[in-house]
Amino acid sequence: MLPLSLLNAAQNKPMLVELKNGETFNGHLVNCDNFMNITLREVYQTSAEGDKFWKLRECYIRGSTIKYLRVPDTLLDAVKEEQNRAREAGRSARGAHVSGAGQRGRGAPQRGRGMVRGGGPARGGRGRGRGM
Amino acid sequence: MLIFSVFKTLTDQRVTVELKNDLSITGTLKSVDQFLNIRLDNIKVLDEARHPHMMAVKNCFIRGSVVRYVQLPAEHVDTQLLEDATRREAAAQNKR
Amino acid sequence: MAGLQPYVDHRVLLILQDGRAIVGTMAGYDQKSNVVLSDSKERVYSIEEGVEEIPLGLYLVKGDQIVLIGELDEATDKAVDLSTIRAEPLPPIRY
Repeated sequence: MLPLSLLNAAQNKPMLVELKNGETFNGHLVNCDNFMNITLREVYQTSAEGDKFWKLRECYIRGSTIKYLRVPDTLLDAVKEEQNRAREAGRSARGAHVSGAGQRGRGAPQRGRGMVRGGGPARGGRGRGRGM
Repeated sequence: MLIFSVFKTLTDQRVTVELKNDLSITGTLKSVDQFLNIRLDNIKVLDEARHPHMMAVKNCFIRGSVVRYVQLPAEHVDTQLLEDATRREAAAQNKR
Repeated sequence: MAGLQPYVDHRVLLILQDGRAIVGTMAGYDQKSNVVLSDSKERVYSIEEGVEEIPLGLYLVKGDQIVLIGELDEATDKAVDLSTIRAEPLPPIRY
């Protein structure tokens, strides 16, 4: 499974993004591209030291500045199912154009799942926190 | 590209890779790619008591960009051949 | 080619440039060695106490952050009592 398929399937889902400088962003994915440039909405930004918080209505993050993304566990099965379906469709309609990526995740949107922290205790310094 | 070729001739030899986080790993070179990413088998970390992090790891992929040094087995590197190849490559580059 | 294909669906240890150690199941990767880990946990090493495992779930790590990916020998890994291991955290990459 390609990392970018997972990211595409994460549209409208909550996620946590940590940048190389240790800052973290919690929000819902609005859009992304193949460079992993992303836009998030309803964002909680946390400073690298975990001591400062900001609320942003929307933000854009350049892909090259990202360290990692944390997405809901349920996305893995959603993407796998999607790929199986695409493979089946490709088999039954051979020669037809099949697009693997770019499919939206299915089912009820997962709200929260503890991905969004509205403040709380400070994390470890220098971005070596707990990923939450 | 030349160094890539050198590494390819060293597959199945024991090498020691020193990383830019000061970790040194010895292992059997299994493969290399054009980024000089390296796969090692039967690895052993230098100073295991200080670095128990890799205890359960038997083989690994190392990203080329974090390698500081690779210690090569001298008897398996033909330095004369390497010098000649280097000169040839430099000459070819100057012509362009 | 030094591909990552042999690691897919295996338990792996990922070492990042900032020194973090993350274990997880490699669900996928791409050309730039971006990696997807499922059921991932961070292993936090310290001298004062044993290794602490922090569940992280489904993780997408950018390739340029990766130092090393090691295949975990699950039998060996399970046999280790992490609470008895004391070690400095791995240092971050310094150029």
